[in-house]
Amino acid sequence: MPSDTVGNGVLVPFSGEGSDSVAVYPLNHGLSLPISRVAISWSRGNSLRVSLFAEPSATSPDSQASGAKVVEVKLSGEDPEISDSNWRRIAYGSVTPFALLQSRRSSLAALSKSPSPYHVDWWEHVLEYSKDIASLLGGPKLSPGPIIEDPNAIATKCEEPTCLKAAWELLEMFYVDKRSQAWLPERLVDWLADFDSLFTSTHETIHGKLVNFQKELVNIQVIEDDPRYWEVMSSALSVGWLDIVVKMLRLHGSYQLDQLSSRERENGLVEVVAVLISKMPRLRPESAVENLGECFKSKPDFIKAWEKWRSQITKLDCSPFWIQCDNQQTCDGLRNLLQIMLGNTESLCTATCHWIELYVSHFLYIRPFTTGIESMYNLAQKCMQLKPPSSIHKLTGLMIGILGENTEVVLAECSREFGPWMVAHAVELLTAGSEQAEVLLHDEHYNLGGISIVELHRLAYAQVLSSHALTWQIAPIYLTSCMKQGMGLLENLLYRQSVQHNDTLLKNIEICRLYELDHISSKIMKVAGVFHWKHGRKGAGVFWLQQAQDASCLGRIALQLFDAVGKSISDESFKQWEGIIELLGSESKPAGGLEFLHKYRDFKKSLQQVSGGKSTEAARQAVGSLILLMKNPSTPPRFWLPLLYDSLKLLNWKDCSLLTESETNLLLNKLQELSLARLRPHFTEPSLPPEALSSVRLALATNLGRAILDE
Amino acid sequence: MAKEVLTLDNGTTCSSWNYSGTRLAAGSADGTLSIFDSRDPPSSSSLRLSFKSKVHEGNIVKIVWVPPAYGDAVACISVDGIVSLLEEVVEDSQPLQWKICKCFGSSSDKVLDVQFGISLASLKMVAAYSDGHMKVFELLDPLELKNWQLQAEFQNVIESVSSFGKAVCLSASISFNPQNGGSQESSFLVGFNSNTSELNSAKVWEFDQAHQRWLPVAELAVPEDKGDQVYAVAWAPNIGRTYEIIAVATHKGLAIWHLGLNPDHDGRLPVERVAVLSGHDGMVWQMEWDMSGMTLATTGQDGMVRLWQSNLNGVWHQQAAFEPTS
Repeated sequence: MPSDTVGNGVLVPFSGEGSDSVAVYPLNHGLSLPISRVAISWSRGNSLRVSLFAEPSATSPDSQASGAKVVEVKLSGEDPEISDSNWRRIAYGSVTPFALLQSRRSSLAALSKSPSPYHVDWWEHVLEYSKDIASLLGGPKLSPGPIIEDPNAIATKCEEPTCLKAAWELLEMFYVDKRSQAWLPERLVDWLADFDSLFTSTHETIHGKLVNFQKELVNIQVIEDDPRYWEVMSSALSVGWLDIVVKMLRLHGSYQLDQLSSRERENGLVEVVAVLISKMPRLRPESAVENLGECFKSKPDFIKAWEKWRSQITKLDCSPFWIQCDNQQTCDGLRNLLQIMLGNTESLCTATCHWIELYVSHFLYIRPFTTGIESMYNLAQKCMQLKPPSSIHKLTGLMIGILGENTEVVLAECSREFGPWMVAHAVELLTAGSEQAEVLLHDEHYNLGGISIVELHRLAYAQVLSSHALTWQIAPIYLTSCMKQGMGLLENLLYRQSVQHNDTLLKNIEICRLYELDHISSKIMKVAGVFHWKHGRKGAGVFWLQQAQDASCLGRIALQLFDAVGKSISDESFKQWEGIIELLGSESKPAGGLEFLHKYRDFKKSLQQVSGGKSTEAARQAVGSLILLMKNPSTPPRFWLPLLYDSLKLLNWKDCSLLTESETNLLLNKLQELSLARLRPHFTEPSLPPEALSSVRLALATNLGRAILDE
Repeated sequence: MAKEVLTLDNGTTCSSWNYSGTRLAAGSADGTLSIFDSRDPPSSSSLRLSFKSKVHEGNIVKIVWVPPAYGDAVACISVDGIVSLLEEVVEDSQPLQWKICKCFGSSSDKVLDVQFGISLASLKMVAAYSDGHMKVFELLDPLELKNWQLQAEFQNVIESVSSFGKAVCLSASISFNPQNGGSQESSFLVGFNSNTSELNSAKVWEFDQAHQRWLPVAELAVPEDKGDQVYAVAWAPNIGRTYEIIAVATHKGLAIWHLGLNPDHDGRLPVERVAVLSGHDGMVWQMEWDMSGMTLATTGQDGMVRLWQSNLNGVWHQQAAFEPTS
């Protein structure tokens, strides 16, 4: 069958809000005949197995054509952008930060004894968690955006950023990192520098322009005469990639030694603009090393510097030097850069490609004093109107949700675009600082069976983990963090693990022990015990049934052993049974009269010796064993008659009476008791010939007579 | 789109996976039972044939696995209503093999469906017959699947006094409460597709310990739909809800029911129909809940596989559908 696996089998988003039209997915089976019947079965987690049966071909029933296919469909996979193995790496890597955060929450809750564990500094813990997770989603940030090292290399290709990481950082910046609240717009600038390339697949972007220009660079003779040179610089400047612009300006022909003297004035203008760009005031604590611009931590200082800088630009813009410059291309290009720095809307709009780029340019040059999230949403709407996107990118949907301060939309976007892993882990960020989100996400819903949205998403993620043989072992960590239904699902998950392989079995039992699921482990051990017993591994079967403390199965096994010991006393197999008797007897609390089996075995052994010869001494020993057995309260009543029946030879011993009067009376009493025990329910009749009872009675009566005479 | 797991012979009519999804039993039109095993634990995709033999004269229409605590065993239901119980076992120093350990049902007294449940630490087998009767058998020896004792026999009606003509049932569907598997008393659900309206509606049966009999504790049909023929029933796993969820399929569509856990003064459990969904046109063949009891998968005469979920507001809807294509 041509199984065209799409990505890692992403099919159905688990818990997105239902849309009106139902998505219909094809299920390729490759059978030539029409399908007459379909059967379904859930495997562990989210994998559904579908059997498709073709109509039996009437023409040739024995034809070799296949008549049915069984296919497995994995539902609700993860983001296809990331490979399966990478997903597993992320899944395993996120366990520790997640578990640490949960334990911090519970210890904080225990300390404060208040219903809400949210401490003032709680966000710092969440931030640490967020950083740990973010480090899994991509290596260390190499260089933010494109750089120039080699004068001919404008944009260097660094590690491929992922949308997942971009989304995670967006959530962290808006929901968790309280320190950055004052300079949120600057963080967006940095964010765009890191992730602008992600939009390139569907839209034209500044990053894309830079990369294309760099490819052309080797072919360009006089760079300042090329309009693209100026266009790319204005674009880079509009989104605040100052270092790139400065480096590109220095590529200007007027810097070349042979031209410096003839183009002195032109070069002066280029340099002044470059200096102004590098002196741009930024409201942020510290700039990344290679970023240019002057950083200000306090807003008043920043405003002062900003006004001074702006006045310098205005002054330059109005200066007479421009007239003295011969190169028109350079003049126009430089003055356009000044317009961008002066916040000319039209210039910014022309320089940027994507609406997010325009958005960021607004913060840099039009609204430099914006702090906080207020009004950010309206501005985003405005930018989208100015640069309507041809299609919705998954990051923009998320960003609109965040800016609109709509937790539900954010959650739905995370779920739809990035899958269950993202939602399960991102809820921690969403609730980090917001009481409102906290209430929304932790509120219990009757319709969900009394669980919260947080729990629902954790359960959904655990289901995804459960469906893969290499990840199910970490599902318990998420399930045990679910207060209401996690344990229930964990029980179902553990119960559905195969017991055939000992390592899986031991792992299962270990998980049960860890989470105090004794009733599940005893169930599992019983399944294992029965499996081994039925498959002929009697020792392993008994061992696991003992571990499960399954008295009823062990009792039955003891019964089978009794028969076997009775039947095959002279056989080689007696040794095998003896081993099991040893095993059964090793428990301090013997189940189902197992202690008796030991004595019975001894009795049988002495009986065996008697049957060989005619030694009265051996017979006396056997009688001793019999009396011990009959006196022992652990001997089950159902064995009394078979014991006596087996001992008929001893009771009817030719030479002399082997039993004393009192011993004979004891045995007769037992027979009497037996007839009473038979009336009780649940009494099992031993399989003996019908005349067994009467022959035992006769023998005892005869023996009693002989014993009285002897004494 | 989907990963192929196995190809089966021409004439295969039904299949069933065991509890852990590592063994598949498949039945054929000529009465052959085949067992396929996973080769090694991490990959479920590689299966090999470990047993193949004719166990019935007629077409095998359904295979049901016995709960794993009672060994590896299956019940095969043939089209003529005979059930064979087979078990994989080592006996008397013979090698491991599948052996028939019990047969019941006949062409005059056809078995339509069989299900197993564990109740009060013993295995129960419930069989639905074509005359509208239910029989509950109890396993006497946990290690011997040969010895079954008939515990009860009754009809799927609420009022035991109601009388009706000879019932002819085309199909029946039984579903045990999947959660009870231990020392508690278990309950099950049954619905018929018959010519007798009293028998049809899905009812929940519970064992009354005090009077040693099975009692109907809930009827899952609104008054005007009580006579509707039931195609399939499925009891959802409950991992912590304060109510049970049950799906019932009739010609009117799929109904999702909430079943309360606390009986009222008559001993009846409160029921509420929370959704009626349409999707499959005509007969619904099978309904299966996932292990969390949150997603229902169904198949039916339209040949589609459909998935159903409830949203955050408790509104049930179709989440996705799969259409077989060659």
